[in-house]
Order: sequence, then C-alpha cells, then structure tokens
Amino acid sequence: MTLFVSEGNPHCLKVLAALEVTGAKCDVQYVNHEERVVPFLSRPALPALLLPSGLHLFSSNAICRYLFEVNGQDSSELCNQWLEWETTELQPALIHALHMAVLQGKGSEVSKVLQGPLNYLDQSLSKKNTPYLTGEAVSVADVVLWAALYPILSDSSLALGERKSVKIWFDHGAAMHSLQCAAQKVLQGKGLQGMKSYMQKQPAPQSSQCRDTQPCNSSPA
Amino acid sequence: MALRELSSLEKFLGLKKPNKYSTQGDKKVPVLQSNNGPALVGLVTIACHLVKEAKRPELLGDSAESRAVVQQWLEHRVTKLEGCTKEDVKTVLKDFNLYLQDKVYLAGNQFTLADIFMYYGIHSLIVELAIQEKEQYMNVTRWFDHIQHYPGIRHHLPPVAVLRNRIYTGRHH
Repeated sequence: MTLFVSEGNPHCLKVLAALEVTGAKCDVQYVNHEERVVPFLSRPALPALLLPSGLHLFSSNAICRYLFEVNGQDSSELCNQWLEWETTELQPALIHALHMAVLQGKGSEVSKVLQGPLNYLDQSLSKKNTPYLTGEAVSVADVVLWAALYPILSDSSLALGERKSVKIWFDHGAAMHSLQCAAQKVLQGKGLQGMKSYMQKQPAPQSSQCRDTQPCNSSPA
Repeated sequence: MALRELSSLEKFLGLKKPNKYSTQGDKKVPVLQSNNGPALVGLVTIACHLVKEAKRPELLGDSAESRAVVQQWLEHRVTKLEGCTKEDVKTVLKDFNLYLQDKVYLAGNQFTLADIFMYYGIHSLIVELAIQEKEQYMNVTRWFDHIQHYPGIRHHLPPVAVLRNRIYTGRHH
C-alpha cells in the first residue's frame, strides 16, 4: 500500500493526519504537485492511495475512511454525514478562502467566505454535549475536519471571530501530536504560505453563481 | 432531483413505507427526519442509510477496499457531477471512460450503490451526447446501458438509446 502526497497540498494534511492517528502501515511517497499518479485521471489528483489490489483511491476522504476502517473503526451514519458536508459545503468555501488568503493577500475577507460553514459547525457542536463530532471518541470525521480547517484556524491573523464551541473542539485536535506532525510535513512550518506553490497551480475557484449560469447539460451552440 | 433519486432507490430496495424528505439550503440538500434520532442530511448519507435499512450491505461494497471505492464514487457524484462546465463534462467523461475500461461495475465485478448514483447523476450528460460522442466514450456507454437495464433501477429516468450495432468502425473523420 502506497500513499502519494505532495508538500503544501491541504488535502494531503487530512490523509497524513489519518495515517498518524490510525498508525496504519503504508509507504508514503512525496511527489510533485503535477505528478499524475492515478492512471485514469487526466488531471493530477493528490493525495492518492494505491491499494493492495492495484486500484487507486483519489479522494482524500475515501482514503481517510479506508485507513480508519482497516484499523477497525467503521464510520457511523453521523460520520458519513460530516464527511459529505465537508466535501460539498465546507471544501468549496475553504478553497475560495485559501485562494484569497494565500494568493490574493485578502486575508481580511476570509471571515466572510467561511462564516456560513463555521457557524453551522459551531451550532452543531454546541447543541450536543460531546467533545467530538460524533460522540465521546475521535472519529474519522474529526480528523478530516481538523485537518481541513487547520491551516485557516491555526492562523491567528485571519480574525475569524469568536466561536466558542468550534474553538474548544478544534483545540483538542490542534493539541494532538499526530495532527501537528501531519501539518509540519505539509506546511513545513510556514503556515498558509507553505501552500503558495500548490495554490498557484490550481484553477481559480468558481464562484457559486457560475453554477446557475452554466448548467452542465447545456447543449453545444 | 435528489428526492426523486431517493424515492427510486427506495423502490429498488423494496422498502415498504416511503420516507418523507425535506430539503435545506440553496442547493436543496435532502433531509430525512426520523422518529428515533436526529435528522440525516445529504444525498449520499441518506442513500447509505436506506441501503442499511433494507439490509443490503453488499451494495456498499463487500470489503474495506470496495467500500472505499464505493464511497469515493458517491463523493465524486455529488462534488464533480454537480454544476460542472462544458469543459469539465469532457474531462469527467474521458476519465470515467478510462476507469471503466477493464471493469463491469464501478467497484469491479460487483454491482453497488455507486453504480446506481453515478447512473442517476450522469444520465443528463449521456442524453446530450451525439452518436459520435457515445462512440468516443464506449466504456461509459456500455456501462450506462448495462445499469439502465439492471432490474428496478431506471424508475424516474427515461431510457437512453445507445448504439446496439456499431455503424461506425474505429475512429472516423
């Protein structure tokens, strides 16, 4: 089993954190951002996990889920729900926010982009009395969300506003050796700037309005 | 759209009592209220729940590897197939075609929930394809035709004619 990652890629932080937390046995190979590891994808997709069967996983959340499952921790329905929320709601906002903070020097506007998802997370956490997203123990959902939010939430210059429940929950993760270790590998101690060369290679995020003006089934003119 | 897919899935699974769904947010994310617990939110989350309720765990994959592959394609469905541009469509189909080159189903030789939801999600793209394009994405077309004829899957979607006889041989210009 081989895990392919690249430095400065925020999605790689998730899988490296999951690898540290689960202690799964796996080779880790560092490659360039542009390296095409997954044979059937025309664009570079990292991280990628080469499974024992020879198949590749190209979704960071599926990789994390797999690492937890082979470690004996199946994901619950609540876990599934957080992972789906992470990819469909949080990621588009996060990519937008990282683009602004890292490439455009508009750190002051990050708060506006992320307030929806962060408020949702805060409300969900404050409604229940458990330290983690799905209960009393750390699950794959916590690790994925901690790692996804780590670059943004650990940067105190962004002034995201006070969210008590998010802070308490995030501090649990940020204090974990496994998460810090993964963050060091990906960000090289440079914080948000550690992602600059990766972000420069990514297409600019589409604003949500594009969705409505360019439906994917529009017929060619 | 998402709600019709969930209702089609319920019929396929043979669930006796249809669930009531609502939606939340601008993107109309499906929500399933339940009597004995908190609501479930999200198309993939609810679909996996229905499969468990129907006691058909094999539809989520029969090994850790195939379960991860199924989840990956379900995620691909809700992140990459929704709201993509025309250029994206080409890449999505090209990559999917290459992936299916040596596979009967998305998780290899076993039919899973990933096939059902990729079929639902890709239907509107396949409808738009010209004959030549269907030829170009032959593996996708073969897989698509296979799934649309799988017993109890199609439900809310019209059948799409794919080439039965290859009128064109090889690449033509």
